[in-house]
Amino acid sequence: MRDYIKVEIPQPDQISVREKEDAMGAYLMMFASLAAGLPFPGINLIAAIIYYTLNKQKSKFVKFHSIQSLYSQIPVSTLNTIIVFWTIYNIGSENSFNMYYWSSFLCVLIVNIFYMIYSILAAINARKGRLYYFIIFGEYAFDKAFLDKDEKTEFINQPPRI
Amino acid sequence: MLTLKLEKQESYSRFELLMRAMFGWLYINLPHYFILGFLQIWGSILTFVALITLVFTGRYPQSMFDFQVNLMRWTFRVQARGFHLADGYPPFSFERSADTPQLEFDYPENLSRSSALLKLFFGWLYCGIPHGLILVFRHIASSFLTFIAFWAILFTGEYPTSFFEFNLGTIRWGMRVSAYLGFMTDEYPVFSGQENKNERLY
Repeated sequence: MRDYIKVEIPQPDQISVREKEDAMGAYLMMFASLAAGLPFPGINLIAAIIYYTLNKQKSKFVKFHSIQSLYSQIPVSTLNTIIVFWTIYNIGSENSFNMYYWSSFLCVLIVNIFYMIYSILAAINARKGRLYYFIIFGEYAFDKAFLDKDEKTEFINQPPRI
Repeated sequence: MLTLKLEKQESYSRFELLMRAMFGWLYINLPHYFILGFLQIWGSILTFVALITLVFTGRYPQSMFDFQVNLMRWTFRVQARGFHLADGYPPFSFERSADTPQLEFDYPENLSRSSALLKLFFGWLYCGIPHGLILVFRHIASSFLTFIAFWAILFTGEYPTSFFEFNLGTIRWGMRVSAYLGFMTDEYPVFSGQENKNERLY
């Protein structure tokens, strides 16, 4: 029978400022396309992937926030890309901007607003050295960052779940 | 504080000089600037992210700062070969090494938020345009001096000291302006390529 490996969840006072800043930076990748000056939402996703790849080895805390940012970026970027291409298609063809388009546009806009609010909250919490869980993605990110897939894990302390 | 350090060699290889002059674009510039181009895009994204962080926290994230310094270091090594200031092939690496041109930049713990916003909106006006204009002419002068230095090295094996310092100064000046407009320092770049007296040598 295998022993449990003991894992300690880092508490805010155990995390260096550098780690906190690195974790915070993960959420700011949502501005990547703005920074690149290109209206392609896929850039945000690519930036999130690069950021995760570069930072995943730094610490579990940074990995958690990077992967949560990446996971949450996937559906948002996909929706944004669809809307961008739909808009380009409508401009390029004789199709008018019909009700289906505007209702979809509105839905995507609302998703983006929520995503931005959550990301800013997550960035603030990361800067304070806290874990912050997105709906759905938070659990996955936590498991990916803190659980060892080959070993049974026992946590010494409790994660600050919300 | 940005410090560029490059020792003038006692003598320069004529073979390397000819190779750089004829094929440098192919075996130095093309591969290095191809990679540096992608790294610059990533650097621009990080600059923007750092700006947001800086405005809200007063700090430039250290990891992002280190990346920018490494990028400047790599660029400096390639530029130094472009001006024939150093022999040898620039490494495809962020790592420091003793035998390559050195670039160091002290990490500022705190930066001014108002200065960052000022640079964002008016940096092009009070720094970009005046420094940029002078740097254009300075680069033309440096190109001319590099051309003369090429012949000097070819015949004597030595780089004229004053030309060396001028060309190194051109790179230094450009780096200072980049660092300032990239929100990495609050210190307005001096209108000179001279080394600052209080710069520490590594």
